[in-house]
Amino acid sequence: MSRAFSLFLVVITLVLVGCNQRGADTERLLLTGSSTMAPLLTELAIAFENQRGQTRIDVQTGGSSRGITDVRRGLVDIGMVSRSLNDKEDDLQAHLIAQDGIGLILNTANPVVSLTDQQIVNIYTGAADNWQLFGGANEPITVVSKAEGRSTLDLFLAYFKLPVADLRAHIIIGDNEQGIKAVAGNAKAIGYVSIGAAEYSIRAGLPIKLIPVNGVQASTDSVSSGLFPLSRPLNLVTRVEAKPGQVSSTTAADFIRFAQSDKARALILRQYFVPPQG
Amino acid sequence: MMSKAMSQGDRIIQMGLCCPALIICGVFVWLLFDVVSQGISGLSWQFLTQLPADAGRAGGIVSIIVSTFIVLIIALLVALPIGLGTAIWLAEFADEDQTGMAVAVWVRRSLQLLAGVPSIVVGLFGYAVFCQLLGLGYSLLAGGLTLGCMILPLLIGSLEAGLRAVPCTYRINAVALGLSKFSVIRRILLPQAAPALLAGLILSIGRALAETAALLFTSGYVTRMPESVYDSGRVLSVHVFDLAMNVPGGDKNAYATALVLLLGLLLINSVLKKVVNIWAAREN
Repeated sequence: MSRAFSLFLVVITLVLVGCNQRGADTERLLLTGSSTMAPLLTELAIAFENQRGQTRIDVQTGGSSRGITDVRRGLVDIGMVSRSLNDKEDDLQAHLIAQDGIGLILNTANPVVSLTDQQIVNIYTGAADNWQLFGGANEPITVVSKAEGRSTLDLFLAYFKLPVADLRAHIIIGDNEQGIKAVAGNAKAIGYVSIGAAEYSIRAGLPIKLIPVNGVQASTDSVSSGLFPLSRPLNLVTRVEAKPGQVSSTTAADFIRFAQSDKARALILRQYFVPPQG
Repeated sequence: MMSKAMSQGDRIIQMGLCCPALIICGVFVWLLFDVVSQGISGLSWQFLTQLPADAGRAGGIVSIIVSTFIVLIIALLVALPIGLGTAIWLAEFADEDQTGMAVAVWVRRSLQLLAGVPSIVVGLFGYAVFCQLLGLGYSLLAGGLTLGCMILPLLIGSLEAGLRAVPCTYRINAVALGLSKFSVIRRILLPQAAPALLAGLILSIGRALAETAALLFTSGYVTRMPESVYDSGRVLSVHVFDLAMNVPGGDKNAYATALVLLLGLLLINSVLKKVVNIWAAREN
């Protein structure tokens, strides 16, 4: 027994000591931020590592706000922020890598085919609470909204000019998939999610449909052409350095350039986002 | 007549009590059926031996399994010695004098508090202390240490109860035979408390493998095969969460991963049971 135990200790010690040797010549890059962007950036990071070698890019989540905070504190090289930077964030620089459109989704069992912006505002503020008002069945509306801190919510509120306190939601969700599942499972629900994710789920046969916003059909095409009003930029964010337009670490600069290059387009499309035009 | 009515009443009560038991069974079977039926199609040798690809929709989960295993081992390596020591002290030494008893009260109080702290709070603590203050960053080590903090109260609680359940006559007889306190603990008390140790371990490992939120911001999100304990590595539960909630089309692999998690837990539990039984039998 005791011999087995000593052997175990020796093995564990060796493993831990062996573990301690970090590749000294490996460059490391850390990204944190938007959970929407994290899967895309993980894929871009793998492609970049394969192309370059001797580089490790670690992607962590936590939300856009986290990305901004971490970049400001100097904890990470690049932040992932799925919205435009505002005036108070002029100490940071945004590098656009893709667009994400936000579409309103209904269950396919719902006969309603379109809603005006004002009608959507009425639904989300609780002023209208029955589908009958919009040509649907005499059923109460289940309002699905996003949790605070999500950039999808910020964009939604900014477009419809709503203060967050006016929202009257029945279901609060975190991620796109949750929103899609909530509407797919409830014929009376309305929600808003990433168009790429919604299009994928529609192709996969889930009973949801995208409705136009302000008369513009919600699709990846209308997002990429810039016509669709409810879209958000997916940005990589760095600190503005002494020389404007320069990123401190060259690896970080190379990675951002790679994420904006043609090589990244296929990967961006595969994650149901829209590469910027041009 | 009277007794017949009573027995009828008894039968109704018996049936009434049986129902909740059946409901529990039903829920478990439903859960198992759901995970197995949706996950089995995605499960294959390739799934267990390949790296994740396309944000987890394709490829396998080998790096995720390795990360999970390392985090679990670190948590147990940290929690087991501390837990064993604390439980033995609480059960065998704390009551010997006034100061010991006073300290034990505080130790127990803080353990109860620690057991009741929501895991997300322990996670925040782990992030602040291990990742930032100690500079470990997002790493398997930080995740393992955080989990270690989380499972300590479970381990200590069940182990102390197990040690206290050993009849006092054993200790008196052992002392009468001239055995030292240390031998009594090692040869008699610990083997006797083996089932309690086993229960504590199974509970701890279950909790450790289920933990998602705390590990998302301590051991992190990286799907690469970890090269050292200082690397970030995604664990199974975080992978299930991300695939189910954040990756369109990740459902199938989310279920397959959940199935692996479930099977892994059952496997670890049965292996543990074997090991602890063999050890207890040998010491007896």
